[in-house]
Amino acid sequence: MAETVNITVNGTQHSKEVEGRTLLVHFLRDTLGLTGTHVGCDTSSCGACTVHINGKAVKSCSMLAAQADGKSITTIEGMANGDELHPLQESFREKHGLQCGFCTPGMIMTAADLLNHNPNPSETDIREALEGNICRCTGYHNIVEAIKDAAEKMAVPA
Amino acid sequence: MSNKYIGQSVKRVEDKRFITGEGRYTDDIVLPRMVHAYILRSPYAHARIKSIDTSEALAMKGVVAIYTGKDFENINGVPCGWQVNFKDGTTMREPKHPLLVLDKVKHAGDGVAMVVAETKEIAADAAEAINVKYEVLKAVTNPKEALAPGAPLVHDEYPDNIAFDWQIGNDKAEVDAAMDSAHHITKLDFTNNRVVPNAMEPRSYIGDYDTAYDRYTLYTSTQNPHLIRLLMCAFVLGIPEHKVRVVGPDVGGGFGSKIYHYTEEALVTWAAKQLRRPIKWTSDRSEAFLTDAHGRDHVSTAEMGFDKDGHIVGLRIKTYANLGAYLSTFASAVPTYLHGTLLQGVYTTPKIHLDMTCVFTHTTAVDAYRGAGRPEATYLLERLMDVSAHEMGIDPAELRFKNFIPPFDGVNQAGYQTQVALQYDSGNYHAVLERGLEMLGYADFKEKQAEARKNGKLLGVGFSTYIEACGIAPSAVVGSLGARAGLFESAQVRVQPTGKVNVYTGSHSHGQGHETSFAQVVADKLGIPLADVEIIHGDSDAVAFGMGTYGSRSLAVGGSAIVKSIEKVLEKGAKIAAHKLECSTDDLDFADGKWTVKGTDKSIGFGDVALTAYVPHVYPANLEPGLDFSSFYDPANFTYPFGCHIAVVEVDAETGKVTIKRFVAVDDVGNVINPMIVEGQIHGGLAQGIGQALLEGVIYDENGQLTTGTFMDYAMPRADDLPMFETDRKTTPCPHNPLGVKGAGEAGAIGSTPAVVNAVMNATWHLGVRDLEMPLTPQRVWRAMNHK
Amino acid sequence: MELTGSHILHAPVQKIWDLILNPEFLAKVTPGISRLEQESGDLYKAIAEIKIGPVHGKFEGSAELTDKVEHESFVLKVTQNSKIGNVEADIKMVMKPTENNETELSFDGVANMSGLLARTGNRVMSGVANTLTKQFFSNFEKELLNY
Repeated sequence: MAETVNITVNGTQHSKEVEGRTLLVHFLRDTLGLTGTHVGCDTSSCGACTVHINGKAVKSCSMLAAQADGKSITTIEGMANGDELHPLQESFREKHGLQCGFCTPGMIMTAADLLNHNPNPSETDIREALEGNICRCTGYHNIVEAIKDAAEKMAVPA
Repeated sequence: MSNKYIGQSVKRVEDKRFITGEGRYTDDIVLPRMVHAYILRSPYAHARIKSIDTSEALAMKGVVAIYTGKDFENINGVPCGWQVNFKDGTTMREPKHPLLVLDKVKHAGDGVAMVVAETKEIAADAAEAINVKYEVLKAVTNPKEALAPGAPLVHDEYPDNIAFDWQIGNDKAEVDAAMDSAHHITKLDFTNNRVVPNAMEPRSYIGDYDTAYDRYTLYTSTQNPHLIRLLMCAFVLGIPEHKVRVVGPDVGGGFGSKIYHYTEEALVTWAAKQLRRPIKWTSDRSEAFLTDAHGRDHVSTAEMGFDKDGHIVGLRIKTYANLGAYLSTFASAVPTYLHGTLLQGVYTTPKIHLDMTCVFTHTTAVDAYRGAGRPEATYLLERLMDVSAHEMGIDPAELRFKNFIPPFDGVNQAGYQTQVALQYDSGNYHAVLERGLEMLGYADFKEKQAEARKNGKLLGVGFSTYIEACGIAPSAVVGSLGARAGLFESAQVRVQPTGKVNVYTGSHSHGQGHETSFAQVVADKLGIPLADVEIIHGDSDAVAFGMGTYGSRSLAVGGSAIVKSIEKVLEKGAKIAAHKLECSTDDLDFADGKWTVKGTDKSIGFGDVALTAYVPHVYPANLEPGLDFSSFYDPANFTYPFGCHIAVVEVDAETGKVTIKRFVAVDDVGNVINPMIVEGQIHGGLAQGIGQALLEGVIYDENGQLTTGTFMDYAMPRADDLPMFETDRKTTPCPHNPLGVKGAGEAGAIGSTPAVVNAVMNATWHLGVRDLEMPLTPQRVWRAMNHK
Repeated sequence: MELTGSHILHAPVQKIWDLILNPEFLAKVTPGISRLEQESGDLYKAIAEIKIGPVHGKFEGSAELTDKVEHESFVLKVTQNSKIGNVEADIKMVMKPTENNETELSFDGVANMSGLLARTGNRVMSGVANTLTKQFFSNFEKELLNY
């Protein structure tokens, strides 16, 4: 049943044996010990497990580790550049876009994908982009503020 | 003493680990030789277990052990922490809530067997191979139906399904007389819908046993590690408390649901010793829906009587509270002392009576969920106020002004004695409504509403002026009311030789930001940089004792305990400083982190005093070395935050869909340490309260099956369901705690629900809509508008 | 969950009646059935594997025909247990000849579910039931030609 997968995670290449049924999120958490990616549900509804696969936000509970063979994955642990935080990480802190922190990694990964293809999103754009991520603490208000703030920080000066 | 941090929106120190993925929640913890548990749960709401055959499962590769109800026949169940008596004085009924069921399952999801295996997957596979034969019985899920003659019995020993009945307020006859005298009575039937707390981190536990030291460790996603240790050791497993360490590491939200002692905590702790291996159990979300304590679930009939001038003359309520199949830790306190005692609201109602019947049903246990009892009380009062106003043709804001308790600060004016036992500490209810109306632009709103209606848009505004009781609570008071624990808090302030400070608090942060707001208090009081303070919580080996975080109590009770310890540190510090400065302590002022001899420039800094305390070469005689103090703080009263919430909604005439156009919240939570954090707490509460009004609701089918058991079937508020919130604050300090703080965690969830429902009724009143059961789904609203 | 509907089968009532009482035939046309054994009289032991969307599991249980009125109607009592939940259904089946000497088979009943099956609720289960019903009748018609 086990097969070998080659997956690049946060720039590091991993070659690991996985069981056919292992979900990508469990591979990240249990095999690689990257526990920043969280499991908040069992129906692909909450978005806590969102990571980037080849640059696109994907819920890592919705695919098998085997399907990620040959792909490049970024998790929350790979967002900062050394000690330099990603602008979204900074903005989530500055705007109090997190409380318990459990949904936060998924929120940041989803928001990063949004800003990649829409650098100047409206409030509506942001709320719609977050539709697949549940936060029970913040009421989303400060998450929206944080993403707006990060968009401004990331804007290339004219 | 100058405040450099208190009152400032200091960015949270805990955020760094959460935004980088370094948070450490229980499920992130991996211990050597750890095995995994999976609980096989009853698919039926009510059934007798005829037989359990585990042989096939036990033979599977990787299975370590399987436990069933037989293993726990002689072990206690998880207890209820609050004893409430029947009206006639007899003790409430407390059925055993076993760790695993032996004979009869009482709700869908009741635990039947625990499989322990090398991986969670193997444990789950093995659980599938367990053969349980059930005799399925009829179930009842609605509290009123459970009281009907011949209803299926949850516990065979209690032939009427009643857990207890209870009453509070004035003599029933007095209230009846007041109601008879009323010029106008508004009467409504209410269902306060059952909701699921759904903290984003599912519950997770690791039990560990150290043979060498005969010592247990339980890692648990809890809101109160010490309380779990007390309940598990003393009431369930009978193991000595000093041999158990309970750690609540990073916890991903609680909202009440992680207060309680759950069966799985005791199971993994107990089994860790049996197997001499650490055991982890992590709930799936669908398991969480079945087994995390639910919230609300009241069915009421309430009447409010008015005189001809619109003054309230009486309030009479009959409520049935659904407690589920078992009594969860605080289940008995929620519909009684956290609900009935709040029925005064912010009004001068002279006569109040609540008659309460608490009922067992074949459903998941119900306990405190953000607000706990207070949202249910507020919902009744604030719905009645708006409907009464409409019925009497009085503006709902004016009706509130007419009936508000006049302002009182609790210092120059006495606290307000309610008809329902409590005495409010301080309040200014006019101020929050005035500010709310100003922010709303109420003067213009009615024109806008008329204009919108002309254009076929159904615009509505709804009000809610709430009060709640926080800072739970004076131990003597709650003790006299049946609490089986004290509700004080402890704090240790340990000054290190270099003047850096560790603070050990019995409060527990699971999103509230204690590591920041508590540090702000300590840094200001000691006049040291914030970075020199570390707040430590959630570990029973580190923290002397604690009652945990719930009921918006952390700062009011836990923060006050810290202040008490700081006072002791400063008192001793002054003695050391006086000795070094060769003066009397009376000659010293303490400010900005140093003691100064009055009228001179001679001073000594906090750091030097700390060092002297640990290197006591030049030191006062008869003074112990060290600078480390513990305190326990037991509050003198509850605290009573209040506020005004206003919702503006638009109802789609074609579909019945409700959109929240604006939400104005003016809250008075007393003094504020960190406005950013307080505002965040309000936002989160609002989302949950709005969620209950528009989206969330548990549905059991006629067989007791939970049909809303996943995030696909249970509507959680999502980003595009909510508006940007317009918030402001008023400040009426709490007169009886040293920080003047009241508590902000639950306010949002208490005030917002009736405001939203009132707004929808206001938008559709002219179409004949008077009342609707929550959640106000498009289907329900459309049917009501179209009289279908 | 309520199960109701009807279907025209291209054969006379007599033939349909016989086929329905033929376990070998029933096993062939009922979706997912891997084994159907006659235990006694009208009581059958049934094992099925169902895999539709989120509903997949191995079901074991019994099927029983009661209240038989020859060539007219019977009640099908099904009890199926699985790890994803259990199903108990009582379905009344009525056969009526049509003008073209075909058979209108109508069914009306209630299925009570427990466990995960119940929790996935109407959102999924009624869709699953509809799919299974369609498959049943389409298999029935195909297989009819071989008998």
